[in-house]
Amino acid sequence: MIANRRILTDDMVARIEALASRYPTKQALTLPALHIVHDELRHVPLEAVVEIAKLLDLAPAEVQDTLTFYQFFYQTKPHGKVRAFVCRSISCALRGGEQVLDHLCKKAGIKPGETTPDGTITIEPAECLGACDFAPCMLAGNDLHKDLTREKADAFLDSVGRQNG
Amino acid sequence: MKPSDTFQPVLLEAAGIQDGFSIKSYRSRGGYAPLEKLLVEKKPAEVVDLVKSSGLRGRGGAGFMTGLKWTFLPKDHPGPIYLCVNADESEPGTFNNRILMEEDPHQVLEGIIISAYATRASTAYIYLRYEYPKSWDALQKAIDEAYEAGLLGDNIQGSGFSLDIYLHRGAAAYICGEETGLIESLEGKRAWPRIKPPFPAIEGVFRKPTVVNNIETMACVAQIARRGIEWFRSIGIPADPDNPRDPGSYGPKLYCLSGHVEKPGCYEAPLGITARELINRFGGGVWKGRRVKAVIPGGISMGLMTEDELDTPLDFTGPGTVGCLGLGTAAVVVIDDTVSIVDFLHNSCRFFAHESCGQCTPCREGTNWSLRMLERIRAGKGRLRDLDLLAEIGDTMGMMPGSTICGLADGAAWPIKNSITKFRDEFENYIKQTNPTGYMETDPVPALPIVTTH
Amino acid sequence: MPTVLVDGQEVEIDADERLNCIEVARRAGVEIPHYCWHPGLSVVASCRMCLIQAGTRNAETGDVSMVPKLVPGCQTPAKDGTVIVTNSEVVRQSRARVEEALLIDHPIDCPICDKAGECLLQDYHFEHGQSERRADIHPFSSRRRDVGPTVTLFVDRCIMCTRCVRFTREVSGTAELMVSARGAKEEIDTFPGFPLDNKLSGNVVDLCPVGALGDKDFLYQQRVWFLKKTENVCGGCATGCSIVTEHNQDTVYRLKPRENQHVNKWWMCDEGRYGWHHLHDATRIVEVSHRNHTHWNTVEWTSALGQLTKDLHDAGRLAVAVSPMLTIEEAWMLCAVARAIDPDAYLAMGHVPSTDHDESFPGGFTIRREKSPNRIGIEMILSMFNALTENSTVPEWKEFLEQIRTEAVQSAWVTAGYPTPETSWCDEETAAVFDNMNCLVVQDLFRSPLSKRATWCLPASGFAERHGTWVNCGHRAQTFEQAIRPPAGVWPEGRVFWSLLGRQGLYDPESIRETIAKNSVGFAALSGDMPSLGVDLRLQQVTGT
Repeated sequence: MIANRRILTDDMVARIEALASRYPTKQALTLPALHIVHDELRHVPLEAVVEIAKLLDLAPAEVQDTLTFYQFFYQTKPHGKVRAFVCRSISCALRGGEQVLDHLCKKAGIKPGETTPDGTITIEPAECLGACDFAPCMLAGNDLHKDLTREKADAFLDSVGRQNG
Repeated sequence: MKPSDTFQPVLLEAAGIQDGFSIKSYRSRGGYAPLEKLLVEKKPAEVVDLVKSSGLRGRGGAGFMTGLKWTFLPKDHPGPIYLCVNADESEPGTFNNRILMEEDPHQVLEGIIISAYATRASTAYIYLRYEYPKSWDALQKAIDEAYEAGLLGDNIQGSGFSLDIYLHRGAAAYICGEETGLIESLEGKRAWPRIKPPFPAIEGVFRKPTVVNNIETMACVAQIARRGIEWFRSIGIPADPDNPRDPGSYGPKLYCLSGHVEKPGCYEAPLGITARELINRFGGGVWKGRRVKAVIPGGISMGLMTEDELDTPLDFTGPGTVGCLGLGTAAVVVIDDTVSIVDFLHNSCRFFAHESCGQCTPCREGTNWSLRMLERIRAGKGRLRDLDLLAEIGDTMGMMPGSTICGLADGAAWPIKNSITKFRDEFENYIKQTNPTGYMETDPVPALPIVTTH
Repeated sequence: MPTVLVDGQEVEIDADERLNCIEVARRAGVEIPHYCWHPGLSVVASCRMCLIQAGTRNAETGDVSMVPKLVPGCQTPAKDGTVIVTNSEVVRQSRARVEEALLIDHPIDCPICDKAGECLLQDYHFEHGQSERRADIHPFSSRRRDVGPTVTLFVDRCIMCTRCVRFTREVSGTAELMVSARGAKEEIDTFPGFPLDNKLSGNVVDLCPVGALGDKDFLYQQRVWFLKKTENVCGGCATGCSIVTEHNQDTVYRLKPRENQHVNKWWMCDEGRYGWHHLHDATRIVEVSHRNHTHWNTVEWTSALGQLTKDLHDAGRLAVAVSPMLTIEEAWMLCAVARAIDPDAYLAMGHVPSTDHDESFPGGFTIRREKSPNRIGIEMILSMFNALTENSTVPEWKEFLEQIRTEAVQSAWVTAGYPTPETSWCDEETAAVFDNMNCLVVQDLFRSPLSKRATWCLPASGFAERHGTWVNCGHRAQTFEQAIRPPAGVWPEGRVFWSLLGRQGLYDPESIRETIAKNSVGFAALSGDMPSLGVDLRLQQVTGT
């Protein structure tokens, strides 16, 4: 059932192994390894979990246990090329965050938590992003979008559309 | 104690300074010299005493005496000892750690190095939440600069003290900000907090003695080393002489102000400023000329203060006097009078149900049950009885009654408790108006299909 | 002696005991309800059902100071001066709330759940729960998930005690089970392609306090309140796990381990646990048959035994293979019968089935390579009869075969009783050694190439059908009771040999055990009542008690 081709590239394995000297146990590499794979593939397929487990001398269930706890890592298919977290915690909700999320999702034609069919963008509700001074806000990749308005949200979607053809 | 008028920011001293995040800027402001001096002049145990005598209390939410926590480490342990720096700042309304890390990472680093020296830690992990990519870059750059300058690594400045600092990235789970949840996550497991005892100082990460400290606490350590104990103790609210168990609320604090104010932001003031002063002097007052309905004193876990409670000093003891859980992260969130308390409580319950780690029964089921009830109430099918059930959940869930392993449950309970105690009339009116035919029902009612994703 | 106060009762504990409040309270006859704690697993204190009030009593002043909040009984050590309160209103309410919380999202499908009747959720609800439901109603039935070849999971019945996950990580060391997701959506699961498939897998069903995990072997077979329980010992290997045979109307439905810290702690392996089906296999030998050339006749027992004895008497020198599946009582009687027929009878150990090596697990459990429960016991019995080789060891199966092959003996009685209906323990080549015997008696559960050559083919009994004593690899003798009657037509070995010895009345294994104890220093400890956890024979020899 598990495919024969390897998912983890040599580069990924090298980067995981390079961190080994930082921790006294291999298990501590679990979260960094998941990030390394997820950053590149935008998901951590089941096969990759098996490979990570082998690398770390763990059972696949142990790695999967950690992976699913965070409700953060995608597994069955990749998230969009752009992953937009729209905050819905109290400070952003007080300043219209939920309405912005609804607006963004409607405009993109998806429900919160979903990815557009062309795989361009995933829009998810997030809990407090720690940018309450710029509420309502959104984190997309490494960019923090501050003081979101409907107009700014539209502009963001447009630019995502332009960048991703 | 005269607050704010004459107080000059120290933790935020880099604000507005060009390249304030660089090691050059930090040195020019007096940074790292205190560390270098300490390494020569003081033994680790003396640095512990220094921090203990300063009266510094942890800035992460619990407010435990930092120096005292360090003394719990076993003496003469062969090592390794670990310092975990909690940069998982996820308490709704809180963003002061982010600002410190982005704008003055070296201040944080100096505090970490001094703390590691004091606790004889040989490795420090900064557990940084996923949602702070800018902080990651800023910290990594600063760490690289510090290694280059010989302030990290082997035998720092010939002192015999060696320290490595590593960044460790989180994955968007609030419970990783809990001390032992962080430790479990660092070890690569699901972040289920541990039972205590054993306490982390005895058996922490990788089963070794560990201290977990907050980012802002680290910055305070750097400032204490630079400016001295007397300076630190001259700021804030001194210990109540009639209460031997009160360690006082000393030092400057970063207050995060957000929500319905004109100027949300992070403002530094001596511990003890009131919410009213914070809102009016720093925050430009309630936005749009509106009135306050309620104010969160220290992150959503702390509960709510009403308008007439806004003159409570925001130190470690003040919020407790008006029925809030405590100072928490000193994240003040203002809620104006157009907001329905039902919506507020729903937002809170949704947050905690999402973030509950699920390990212990009262929190796992209590957070879920309270969210379901709030959803049913908002859907117009609430009952007055639900308020009694919510109040009971609020009163019985948490570390304080002893029913849970960690304080997330207390944080989930307090907004419920405060909302229902302080705004019961509004709840009752809402329920009666939205469910005129069913609000009196006391028997169980059919559950709603689950609609809110979390 | 350190003293602990439990609900006002004083309980003394030993100075070197490390007990938690649950264990100490038990000694006062107080049962603190709990789900997630288990003495064989790490303490997680996550179910919160065992919350109690605890404090300390000042030894000098007698003042009691209680911790101001509830504490878990499982993680609170009981020391000298500890005060435990389990019956106050605040403790009662806490339990009622935990129970209520567990039932909010539970299917409560007792009518279709195997665990009904032995379910802690049911029991605690009855004893500690609230009488009325307060949470919203949403009837639903549990999803079912296959987690491995032996165990099935009813996902929504799970209360997240994590005993099963901890077992696979700490005791079996195989880590197949995990928790997935977070919060109220957590579920137990396995990783696809890596099912729960280790030799101790069945133990997670014992551990599960509710009906979430079930034995596929037992699912829907019998309601537990019909089951009678008999303390027994597993006959699968030389570990000799203490078990309980659960049966009804002479049918075994399942086996469960008994706690025995000297032998198996709390566990048993799957081979033993599910290894009872041979008892009810339709191909069992259930009558005495006599062969005349190629012609077989069924013979009634009493006349068969008389005829058999005469045949053996007339046949020349006798050799007896004493199976390591027999109890020491049966073995002693067999040897006595053999020597009565032929004072020069050659006595040897029967075939001892073995695999390559022992299998040890991190939690401290070992499955032995020797797949019989009583080799040591048989050795000791054979020594009593001076059945020794030149090296002063007991002759084994290969020496026995040599006797046959060299025609040093002309008749043989082979006892077997190995629980393997599919593959015979004796292959054609070995059986051919017996081709030219004057009289061959084979006493076995299933037909084999050897039984084909028998003059007299007698049935044998299985582990649950006999009362007697086995000695395991650690020299621990355990005496167990008969749980079920063998199939009609089968006389258990005990009854056969008792009759051949000329004893009257029903077979009395205790009297044989007494005889053995009186006539052997090694077995001296077997005199009198036998403790249910057995007795270490070597210890008794050393201490002379």
